[in-house]
Amino acid sequence: METCFDVKNIDLFYGDKQALKDVNMEIYKNRVTAFIGPSGCGKSTFIRCLNRMNDLIEGCKVSGEIIKDGLDIYSPKQDIVDLRTRVGMVFQKPNPFPMSIYDNIAYGPRCQGLKDKKKLDEIVTTSLKQVALYDEVADRLGDSAIGLSGGQQQRLCIARCIAMSPEVILMDEPTSALDPISTSKIEDLCLELKKDYTIVIVTHNMQQAARISDYTAFFLLGEVVEMDETDTIFSHPKDKRTENYITGRFG
Amino acid sequence: MLIDKKRVKRNKALDKFFRGFFMAMAILSSSFIVIIVLFVCAKGISPFLPGYEYGQVDLISFLTGSIYRQDQGIYGVGFIIINTLISAFLALVISFPLSVLTALFIAKIAPKKLSAAMQSVVELLAAVPSVVYGVFASGVITGVVEWIASLFGITTFGGSSLLAVVLLLAIMIFPTLTSMSITAIRAVDPNLEQASLALGATKTQTNFKICLTAAKSGIFAGAILGLGRAYGEATAVAMVAGNKLFGPTFNPFDITRTLTSTMLAGLKETTGLDYDIRFSVGLVLIVVIFFSNWILNMVKKRIGRNSVA
Repeated sequence: METCFDVKNIDLFYGDKQALKDVNMEIYKNRVTAFIGPSGCGKSTFIRCLNRMNDLIEGCKVSGEIIKDGLDIYSPKQDIVDLRTRVGMVFQKPNPFPMSIYDNIAYGPRCQGLKDKKKLDEIVTTSLKQVALYDEVADRLGDSAIGLSGGQQQRLCIARCIAMSPEVILMDEPTSALDPISTSKIEDLCLELKKDYTIVIVTHNMQQAARISDYTAFFLLGEVVEMDETDTIFSHPKDKRTENYITGRFG
Repeated sequence: MLIDKKRVKRNKALDKFFRGFFMAMAILSSSFIVIIVLFVCAKGISPFLPGYEYGQVDLISFLTGSIYRQDQGIYGVGFIIINTLISAFLALVISFPLSVLTALFIAKIAPKKLSAAMQSVVELLAAVPSVVYGVFASGVITGVVEWIASLFGITTFGGSSLLAVVLLLAIMIFPTLTSMSITAIRAVDPNLEQASLALGATKTQTNFKICLTAAKSGIFAGAILGLGRAYGEATAVAMVAGNKLFGPTFNPFDITRTLTSTMLAGLKETTGLDYDIRFSVGLVLIVVIFFSNWILNMVKKRIGRNSVA
């Protein structure tokens, strides 16, 4: 199996407060990797390291290495725009731009200087088809994306991310603001998308991790307690704390 | 027992009293506006009615006239309306891009300390009385205008000119436009910016394509307020307008005359028709502002459809 991210000794501080302690893991290509753990355990903080969204937070310091394609993404040689076009992200709350459905999806490619109308049309269509949204919106691509339902908005955000043809899609609790039907649609989508993309997903919902992920990492107080194949984690956890968490004794 | 029936009754009565009190206040303050408008209307319309004591004025020639000479009793404000529209609009054209870019810098780009300092400067500018702007304009801007004119080999009336009015108004509406734009840009959902950056857009692309787009409705509201101020500014404008007797003025180096400067010039030294007609001019100004706001609000609705702030 090919490695997508090789994470070595990541420590992260918000000011004086340490949010991640010596995180080590490998994330594999074309697999779904889930991060679980109670609130404040550092799982969202860690996923934001993978596309360097933490750079935006004042007073955030990261040490250690995250190797992607032979290069540490925190090294000065790494171009951040290039990294973010290859590692896309879907957020907790659906956040479509206040523009048309078409413009939302064309936004990323346009920022990279793509102007060819034909190519943009093609990207918009294929991206929407991949998230199974095309049939629902085909006749109103010019309408504002704000008018879509929450579930549709989140699929639009995934399509917007796919439009950049990234290698990795990071999802930070993508279904926590959605109803059960929309949630199951997004979960199906994850299984579909892992053929073409590496998916990393943070989730509050252990069943969700069990349903869709191949690998699961359990975070607690900024540390990775345990990481293994999802089946193993849920059936034979090695660490007592993991067992307590997945059996619902805390968290 | 926690609930005292007497107390409940008293609270209810108090509630009722305060509701009535607040309503009375609201009615009182809004009635001022109504009274002012009614008074200006009554005074302003009277010169056009038959039997007006100083001789009836023809409404059509008043509204379309291109000469305004108190000394000869000729009152035409048609060209003054055009002058007012031109000067306010040009001021907006100059001030708008400057203000929006300044606001973007203060709200998004500048480091915290600089941003705070610049914002207080902008707020301070808004608090400067207009007559102070006026002396600045007559002392400095007119000089600049004279100098520019001399480059083209033109002589001006001591710098008093359309250009001086436009520059003055541009400076005066700058704080309003900037503060409104800052508020609008700050109100943009940070999640949108994050989404944009996560898609590989640069900071600059995000600022222009996301922040400004999402804030355009609020920015436009600032433009409407700024334009209102530009129309209504009297003291400072009167100090550099020059009050031309005919027009309209299209030459930036020529003197001009706005509705406000017309109302103000020599107000205290005059009586009779020349005094009353100023209320008519004021009425025209109210109508001009009303229409301009109405049109701009329609435009705002159109462009603001996809805006969040």
